[in-house]
Amino acid sequence: MRSQTSPDVENPTRTSLLDADYGYVPTLDPTLPPQPQETRQQPSKPILLLISGLLAIGLLVALIVGNVHIETHDNDVPSPERRNPIEQGVSEKSFGLPGDVPPFSWTDEILAWQAPVFHFTPGKNWMNGPVFYKGWYHLFYQYSPAAPVWGLIVWGHAVSRDMVHWRHLPIAMETDEWYDVNGVWTGSTTILPNNELVVLYTGSTNDSVQVQNLAYPANPSDPLLVNWVKDPANPVLVPPKWINKKDFRDPTTAWLTPEGKWRMVIGTKVNKTGIAILYDTDDFKSYELQDTWLHQVDGTGMWECVDFFPVSKEDDGLDTGVIGPDIKHVLKASMDDDRCDYYAIGNYNPKTGKWVPDNAKIDVGIGLRYDYGIYYASKTFYDQNKKRRVLWSWIKETDSENSDIKKGWASLMAVPRTVALDPLTGSNLLQWPIEELDKIRSDLNEFDEIKLEPGSLVPLDVGPTSQLDIMVEFELDKKITNGLSVAAGVPYNCAGHGGAGVRDAFGPFGLLVLANQNLTEHTPTYFYIVKDKKGVYSTFFCIDQSRSSIAKDVDKSIYGSTVPVLEGEKLSMRILVDHSIVEGYAQGGRTCITSRVYPTEAIYDNAQLFLFNNATNITVTASLKTWKMGLMTKNESGWVWLGPSLILVVVFFFVVWTWQNQRKNRS
Amino acid sequence: MNHTTNTSSINMKLLLLLILLSLTPTPIFGDKTLIETTCRATPSYNLCMSTLLTNPKSSTADLTDLGLIMVGATKAKATRAIQQIKSIYRSHPELRRSLTECGQMYIAVVRADVPSAVQALDGGQPKFAEDGMADTAVEAQACERSFTERGEKSPLTKVNRDIESVANVARAIIRMLL
Repeated sequence: MRSQTSPDVENPTRTSLLDADYGYVPTLDPTLPPQPQETRQQPSKPILLLISGLLAIGLLVALIVGNVHIETHDNDVPSPERRNPIEQGVSEKSFGLPGDVPPFSWTDEILAWQAPVFHFTPGKNWMNGPVFYKGWYHLFYQYSPAAPVWGLIVWGHAVSRDMVHWRHLPIAMETDEWYDVNGVWTGSTTILPNNELVVLYTGSTNDSVQVQNLAYPANPSDPLLVNWVKDPANPVLVPPKWINKKDFRDPTTAWLTPEGKWRMVIGTKVNKTGIAILYDTDDFKSYELQDTWLHQVDGTGMWECVDFFPVSKEDDGLDTGVIGPDIKHVLKASMDDDRCDYYAIGNYNPKTGKWVPDNAKIDVGIGLRYDYGIYYASKTFYDQNKKRRVLWSWIKETDSENSDIKKGWASLMAVPRTVALDPLTGSNLLQWPIEELDKIRSDLNEFDEIKLEPGSLVPLDVGPTSQLDIMVEFELDKKITNGLSVAAGVPYNCAGHGGAGVRDAFGPFGLLVLANQNLTEHTPTYFYIVKDKKGVYSTFFCIDQSRSSIAKDVDKSIYGSTVPVLEGEKLSMRILVDHSIVEGYAQGGRTCITSRVYPTEAIYDNAQLFLFNNATNITVTASLKTWKMGLMTKNESGWVWLGPSLILVVVFFFVVWTWQNQRKNRS
Repeated sequence: MNHTTNTSSINMKLLLLLILLSLTPTPIFGDKTLIETTCRATPSYNLCMSTLLTNPKSSTADLTDLGLIMVGATKAKATRAIQQIKSIYRSHPELRRSLTECGQMYIAVVRADVPSAVQALDGGQPKFAEDGMADTAVEAQACERSFTERGEKSPLTKVNRDIESVANVARAIIRMLL
């Protein structure tokens, strides 16, 4: 992330491993020595005048410029030296696989635009054990230090007060033991009742066997948790004999059972059946595999990054391990086979250790997804600070690796989302960007009741559109809205409907983001209402990348799914645009889509925003708000310059005083 | 009597057949079948077969190992390409810009793409291995274009095509693991 220091903390730490110094804002150096010095020789009057004049001008400039947003564009990953060979399209013999397409002539300017501003992104990264500890939010992420490609993975580490502004810390754990020399992979944090913190993580050994290891902070009183200790007893858990040694990873946060033991979940598989198995422990060092599996689903393949947490209609967030009559449990897993994250809501019986889904038709791996775009290896943690559950996820690049190497970075995290049970439907989760993101909004533009007849296209004049937060509501003919129903459990596929260019009676309508003037590049985020044979309406929410870029070596899929819409509800979507990442949230977060887009022309000042209605039979009325998103919070924008400005003032007066003294001495 | 003679002559023929069969060199059916079926599903059957069969480890290899062998071959060819570039560099000053670009591309292959694919295959995460080999093929094409766009005759055409092919074979094998 092109992050920013907040002015109230000490200097950012340099990482010894990583060449670039990120998280460091190029402000004026507060240790600037005051000049002139207290020497015996008095500087001559004209020079004093000149200096004080320059300082005065400098002060003026500093105050004026004070509200300018500072962006750091640090290249975080030392990548192999590359120039930029101009590549033109060459038709290649392909064996039918995507990706064997002519590369676009990516220039440095086009690539530089892609870097997101308010998303977390250092180098190549995945997900690990986020946690809130002693006043700081910690993000541990899977980091590939050598290059913007997957490789030898270590635990990267960053901290934040608000999960929006980050401070990068040194690598938390490296591949320095035989049991993790081939990768310090995903793990989870567990906070024990005495506020002690332990980490259980997967290490890939020197033989590439996947084992679980115990680690804890070297200094628990250090709120920044900079240094970590690996337990000498590692590995504390090795794969059981009946599992493949390379199918045993990503232990979850542990919780207390009624018997007083700590219990955690690991995903694995047997043949093509994905399973979640349980281990109990007293001390995190010796483990008992439970005879009953937490759950299994045939045909889903390997379960990675299993997550298991309680939810209820009454509470926005519950700590792992909370049990109760109104409490449901969410079981989530990342499916290795199709690289999507699935979840299901059900009931957990702490005595039997079994979890049963409410609806077996939409069981884990075959039903609902957190996000219908690019969203993988996600993990939640309970934020005891604000009593909410927060979801983090890894978002990969969908351009060519060649471009990634050229631009020097790859992958980022989606914005952190609160996740909670939908109190109205009870059968799906709601995800919503954390409220702290509201603080980096500015420049509100409001549009009320724009009538969109069939076939209309309305440009919205909101200034630059590469960093936007958009909240839009659509009102339709009452007859149609009353006919909308909660979507059936089976997920549909926006791709099957051909994208936003295909006109139908009741859709598509929505926004075009990152669109250029003549629309040769545009990314529609839209609703699409269909009526089935029985006359039941269902609503789709989609993001269409098919015309997002004229480049051919980027992904052009159309993502999305149905979204439950209850009677009387308007259709609403929230869209976060941050350069090459677009995140969409429909109906308050019932259905979410994250997509990566790499326009070549709809960038910088040429990126525009439109409303559109491609439906043939309905008129839609849209009301929306847009905000510019920047890393400076409104409070901070002036404060950053306060320090240097004050120093300039002091220096100025000191110079004047010295000059006065000089005059006095002479007279 | 005739019956017995017929039986014994049949027995003799069978015995002869068995002796002849046991004398023919028996291929290690299990492994060669895997290698053959694997290579048939790649875009360069001959290249795949020759690369795998000339590696002694292939006789006891599973599919992941075959992928690793092919990635290793890609690395070897890319490393040789870098050496070749170095040796041409002195004697062909007019080609220096293109050669420099190619050198950087193949360094990226050896330093980033190959280790990434190896780490992923070794670690049981084939889904992360494909990108490395896909990129290698792209780099090989880009190296060739460095010359052709400048109107130069490429001194590396054969090696570029070679690397592109072997990388595509490696990628095809990796996709079979997904």
